Amino acid sequence: MSDRGLAWLLLSPALLVLATLTVYPALWVLWLAFQYRIPVFGISRWAGLDHFAFLAEGTRFWNAAWVTGVFTVTSVALESALGLAIAVALRGQRGGRRTALALLLLAWALPSVVTAKMFEWLYHPAGGLVNFLLGDRAINWLGDPALALPSLILADVWRATPFVALLCYARLLTIPPDLYEAAEVDGAAGLQAFARITWPLVRPILLVTMLFRTLDAIRAFDIMFVLTGGGPAGSTESLTVYAYRALFQTLQIGLGSAIGVVVFALVMVVAAVYLRLIGRPERTA
Amino acid sequence: MAPRPARAAAAGLFLPLLLALSAGGCGERPGAGAPITLVFKHAKILGPADPMPGLLRRFEADHPGVRVQSEALTWSSDEQHQFYVINLEGGGPPFDVMMLDVIWVPEFARAGWILDLTSSVPPAERDAHFPTAIAPAMQDGRLWALPWFMNVGLLYYRADLLAKYGFGAPPETYEELTAQVRRIRAGERDPSLDGYLWQGKQYEGGMVNVLEALWANGARLLDEAGRPFPEAERARESLAFLRGLIESGVSPAWVTAADEELTRRPFGDGRAIFLRSWPYALDLFELPDSRVRGKVGVAPIPRLRHGPVGAASTGGAHLAVSARTRHRDLAVALARFLTSETAQRAMTEGAALRPSRPALYRDAGLIARDPSLPALHGLMLRGHPRPITPYYLMLSTTLQPEFSAVLVGRKSPARAMRDATAQVEHLLRSVTP
Amino acid sequence: MRAGRRRDAVVLLALSLYAAPFFWQALTSVRPDAELLPLTRLLPSRLTWAHYDVVLRQSLMPRALINSLGIALLSTLLAIGLGALAAYALARLPVRGRGVILLAMVAATAFPQIATVSPLYLLMRALGLRDTWLALILANGSFALPLVIWLLTGFIREIPRALEEAAAVDGADRLAILRWVVLPLVAPGMASAALLAFLFSWNEFLFAYSFTATEASRTVPVALALFPGVFEVPWGDIAAASLLASLPPILIVVGFQRYLVRGLLAGALRE
Repeated sequence: MSDRGLAWLLLSPALLVLATLTVYPALWVLWLAFQYRIPVFGISRWAGLDHFAFLAEGTRFWNAAWVTGVFTVTSVALESALGLAIAVALRGQRGGRRTALALLLLAWALPSVVTAKMFEWLYHPAGGLVNFLLGDRAINWLGDPALALPSLILADVWRATPFVALLCYARLLTIPPDLYEAAEVDGAAGLQAFARITWPLVRPILLVTMLFRTLDAIRAFDIMFVLTGGGPAGSTESLTVYAYRALFQTLQIGLGSAIGVVVFALVMVVAAVYLRLIGRPERTA
Repeated sequence: MAPRPARAAAAGLFLPLLLALSAGGCGERPGAGAPITLVFKHAKILGPADPMPGLLRRFEADHPGVRVQSEALTWSSDEQHQFYVINLEGGGPPFDVMMLDVIWVPEFARAGWILDLTSSVPPAERDAHFPTAIAPAMQDGRLWALPWFMNVGLLYYRADLLAKYGFGAPPETYEELTAQVRRIRAGERDPSLDGYLWQGKQYEGGMVNVLEALWANGARLLDEAGRPFPEAERARESLAFLRGLIESGVSPAWVTAADEELTRRPFGDGRAIFLRSWPYALDLFELPDSRVRGKVGVAPIPRLRHGPVGAASTGGAHLAVSARTRHRDLAVALARFLTSETAQRAMTEGAALRPSRPALYRDAGLIARDPSLPALHGLMLRGHPRPITPYYLMLSTTLQPEFSAVLVGRKSPARAMRDATAQVEHLLRSVTP
Repeated sequence: MRAGRRRDAVVLLALSLYAAPFFWQALTSVRPDAELLPLTRLLPSRLTWAHYDVVLRQSLMPRALINSLGIALLSTLLAIGLGALAAYALARLPVRGRGVILLAMVAATAFPQIATVSPLYLLMRALGLRDTWLALILANGSFALPLVIWLLTGFIREIPRALEEAAAVDGADRLAILRWVVLPLVAPGMASAALLAFLFSWNEFLFAYSFTATEASRTVPVALALFPGVFEVPWGDIAAASLLASLPPILIVVGFQRYLVRGLLAGALRE
């Protein structure tokens, strides 16, 4: 068999699976978004742009878009700052690196449902550690519409910061120590050394990391669905949670798909913007 | 109710055989040959003495060669619904008789998952149930399920506190309720004593409380054509009233996140004057170690300016026969037996459930055990079913966030009604060709 | 030197505090029920295994653990099996449109699950696969596949071609080279990719929640999210169940850290 033939033979199972279970659904969801589709009642009709028109007029959609926006921007910003700080702190670590990384990565590796349940308990008004440490307060972190979103963001920051920290840390390790020694000779230390050496070198990788984190934050579902369920009163209902409720709680597959398509589009736009910021990714050929 | 693996395995072994037999079209002849197993899906019955095993053995005795296998559903109503949807659409082992939350019956009928019982149930048997229990089991003029037990919303009040402050009767209007709360709390000077507790969480129970507030003011959620808020101004007043309960402190802010149990407990601990809940709580308040034993009265839900007293939501469970049953006649017989007067009497005696048959509320033997029955009889008669439509669950889950937003103060009633209307109209466009 | 060691200890202490939410959950899982609500003291007066006993004997958790383990292993196997073949072709064989395929793989890793869950649901429904292992194996395996292909393609490229050429001179054909030269050399890379695929499947919630209905296929995250409480939330039991759900991630972070880190870095940095 020719190499070319063999190549396709080896590729085809994977491509077949991806075509059936990824590409086909991705195209199908576009079609569904233009349908009234309620499987339990056998409803399947063309809806045209009705779902999108309905979303554009509805406060629920714009509320969800706002929640997704605030959640994404705030958590990515916090994760980046905190992650970079942890990476810088870790860089000087000599002993116990493995332990340090294990402690750090644990938060990232746990199922987000576990994280959500953990924080639900931490935030519990009467049994939670947070109120206990604040001196026996009775703050209802997840029940107060003003506090629920910040509380949710904090849980996500806890979960995702290690990812940022790890990538920045890996980059920092590749900076030769003599660069810092040279800077020290020039009288630059601490913040100055950071601004002159660390920042320029770590900036590109931080941007890439932020890209990943932004995409993940837009797509995030588990943590808000389990921690707050989108409540109270919709104050933490992101686009993904709204889509899920439309899909599986009110069984409107068409409307839910339309919201899914919006998330899809958002992800693509954000990816394009970041890629422009970062510069064309290296084509590996 | 420990699972019996051996029996389940035996049923599994027999099943293919049964399928082969019934595929021959010979129908069902109990008594001849292999035993027939009927599978009955229902939620676990709580209460002092589970009457189910006895009832099922009795049915088996009356139908030789038939065995009834009782399978427990999960606790939460949402999960039960999801289980049914996935199972009834195909896949999953079949079952014969199933317990349905009353609000699901039209949906299951419209989806074709349950059998039309109209011709199997004589009119007299149907009329022996409360009309408020039969109405939600009807769809397109046909009967799809039989009422098994029934619920209705009640106002619980602390009779001792009301008497202490000279209130001879429980409030008929919410204005009176508010006045009584103010007077009693001013007199008691106990900051931990709450006024009026109800369920404001974003879930079906919250929906029930909103509906009751609408009805209490003579407003409906939907008109005959399914359009929302036909009495818009009254509906707005109702929503504003619920929010006002919280703003004025008559109800604590946490009721917006509370379900039945979260509100039952403080009232049961003596930390509230009024509570809106279902009849099940009464038994718990009268337990020997209850702190409010002998101090609790029940009354109809009060009214607002334009509505009637006691416009409470009904609830409860119905029994339906799966469209996939292989033993149609036996399954119908089982559903009829379990909803019969005999069975409902046993359920009333053994479990903390209220029957759907008015006759049992006048039964001297039952009244001797539960003196609240005559009072509940009137309330059941006055109760309102929630909107009877196959799309109820879709409607409810669509509207819950809007109402919840009003209760926590994130949206004005007018705004929430506008947003709710847009969503209901979109939903109706989806389901009506 | 002493200052350095003290600094190391401070960083470790800070990171332990960072992981405190997890340790708190662990402590909750052995705290007696009576000391949970309200919380009046930081450390429990005694430790109890009661919550684990409830979870292991009276809940769906043991069954969910088996489901999760089976589904995660099989979907990992699916992704690695198909991914390794495809990656070898992309790395070493002449493939027309290779650049486009690789770019598509990167793009596919950004697919939001919420957008594909509805068509996949309809697909599983049409195939009668709801509430089965197979539905989740296919969904999770295919979702992890683009990342696996991307990672393995890179790892295979790192292998010096000379080794394969030497084998070819000895008369080995392509498949023999793949089996006897490439696969052993890329094994650590495959371990990295497999760990990520396994973690994804173990942690996955949306597909599992949408496609499953009973203990036949409920996975750990779903069982945990729906952990039943009749009258009140059993916080101690939930904590015990979360600890059980965290065992594989802990094992990976502690025992296979090197592979995990390599996979994460390769996935992010090679673009």
